[in-house]
Amino acid sequence: MNRSYKILAIGVLACVLIIALTPYVWMLLTSFKGRLDILSPEPRWLFTPTLSNYPAVFIDKDYLPLVFNSLIISLGSTVLSVVIGAPAAYVFARSDFAGKEDLFFFFLTTRMAPPISIAVPLFLFFTTLGLTDTVYAVVIAHTSFNLSLVVWMMRGFFAEIPKEIDEAAMMDGRSRLGAFVRVIVPLAAPGLAATAVLCFILSWNEFLYAFILVAFEGRPLTVGIPGLITPHGTLWGQVAAVAVVATLPILVFTFLVQKHLVRGLTFGAVKG
Amino acid sequence: MKTMNQQSRGRFLLDRGASLPLMLPATLLVVVFLVGPFYYMAYTAMTDLSFANPDQKGAFVGLDNFRKLMRDDQIFWSSFWLTIRFVVVSVTIEFVLGFALAWLIWRFIERQRLLTTLLLVPMMLAPVAVGLIWRLLLQGDFGMVTYYLRKLGILSQASAVFSSPGLVMPTIIAIDVWQWTPFVTLIILAGLMSLPKTPFEAATMDGAGPWRQFVDIMLPLLRPIIALVLLLRGIDAFKEFDKVFIMTGGGPGTVSELLSIYAYRVNFKNWNLGYGAAVSFMVYLVVLILCSIFYKAVYWKSSAERQ
Repeated sequence: MNRSYKILAIGVLACVLIIALTPYVWMLLTSFKGRLDILSPEPRWLFTPTLSNYPAVFIDKDYLPLVFNSLIISLGSTVLSVVIGAPAAYVFARSDFAGKEDLFFFFLTTRMAPPISIAVPLFLFFTTLGLTDTVYAVVIAHTSFNLSLVVWMMRGFFAEIPKEIDEAAMMDGRSRLGAFVRVIVPLAAPGLAATAVLCFILSWNEFLYAFILVAFEGRPLTVGIPGLITPHGTLWGQVAAVAVVATLPILVFTFLVQKHLVRGLTFGAVKG
Repeated sequence: MKTMNQQSRGRFLLDRGASLPLMLPATLLVVVFLVGPFYYMAYTAMTDLSFANPDQKGAFVGLDNFRKLMRDDQIFWSSFWLTIRFVVVSVTIEFVLGFALAWLIWRFIERQRLLTTLLLVPMMLAPVAVGLIWRLLLQGDFGMVTYYLRKLGILSQASAVFSSPGLVMPTIIAIDVWQWTPFVTLIILAGLMSLPKTPFEAATMDGAGPWRQFVDIMLPLLRPIIALVLLLRGIDAFKEFDKVFIMTGGGPGTVSELLSIYAYRVNFKNWNLGYGAAVSFMVYLVVLILCSIFYKAVYWKSSAERQ
């Protein structure tokens, strides 16, 4: 009896997996299809693969720089968020001061802020600074939400390190800052790495801030994709090729940080 | 979430000199790039600033924009209720499905790693890519899903999903469910894994059936995590923009014009920045309310943990 339930459960889960994965697989297949295979009214699961979509869009249509923009934006905002956010998280984990929890909540609200509300003032602000259409504007915008992820996640990781370790390091003559940089950060390295990867993913996938702040020069991949869609005659093979390049690295990263994913997605509330 | 131990409070304080410099950069950045813009938005909302109309250079109009928004703006209210419906329906479906899946995995699968990793794929894709994938799948002439829907007789031969007003929102909800159910599954599964064994053993000894155990033990124990999942999903769904923008752009007409898409249109299509700021402000307000409920729920949980 129990055994047949188990087989039933496995069957259901297998169906769910097929539903979850087929759309992405279809996108992958499309990126290797020629025009006729894509436009066939009857779906073609078997076809002669072609690699031509990739060079057509990345070289002929000059989409390669967008990959670098995406990289610069994601790396830039990740490094900035971690360097600024981790020390603040450490203070939240160790120190006690009036209004601490309010300030902590305040960091959360910045993560939750709807981009559409903040985007207009940021747009006007960066226009004044002459930074619109540069990757810098997007780096800063992304840092504003990644920062609070770092603060919320790292507070938990730092709190798990016994305070005696800070005390011992300071007994050995290190300053508070020295103890943090030389002793605590290395101990929290796995958590820090997971947090950094999550920041990278969030920034890489983000669309609205980037879409509003950069029109051409500093465009990341996410902003570049819609530009390939036209009312008639969209070249779906090329769209799919860009989408694959925009998603495959993230899936690899996801597998790397899966252990800490639950924690990151719930702002440290669930350990996973 | 781990807060400081009660006994060590006060015993261990960061030396005043060290905590300020560690804290300052983060606080400063947030103040400059988020609090600043927030106040600017609140101020702009009380002006008639418009880039489209040269007469409106941003004169102060008080609460006129909000008055107009509340009283006369039919489109605002219809997109407000559309958004609420979207949030409630999609989050409810995601929750029920996600919970059921988590329970199945927890109950029947020993080696969960590979399965959960694969399940995560839809949710880790860039939302823009999700929008594109489904736009491709639902193309009228050659979409793969369109083809099978027609084969099954669900969709009539001549019509396409995104050009049939009645089908657009249900489709968007279905796609949101496709994308975010794994999120619920992942977090509920983490909650199920951390459940203590003893209450269930005791209940079995007392002769409580699986259903009673589920309702009387499992649900109450999972309540904080359930609250957390619902709120996080609710906040994100309320801000939904990317997918819908790529798939329908709010159309046909305004059938799928969610609040953030309406705000986008007023600000960046009509360039009516004063009024747009008022719309944005309302979006922010709702998110802020949901957010503070989330915060309370998180603290409720950590206080429950300590007991």
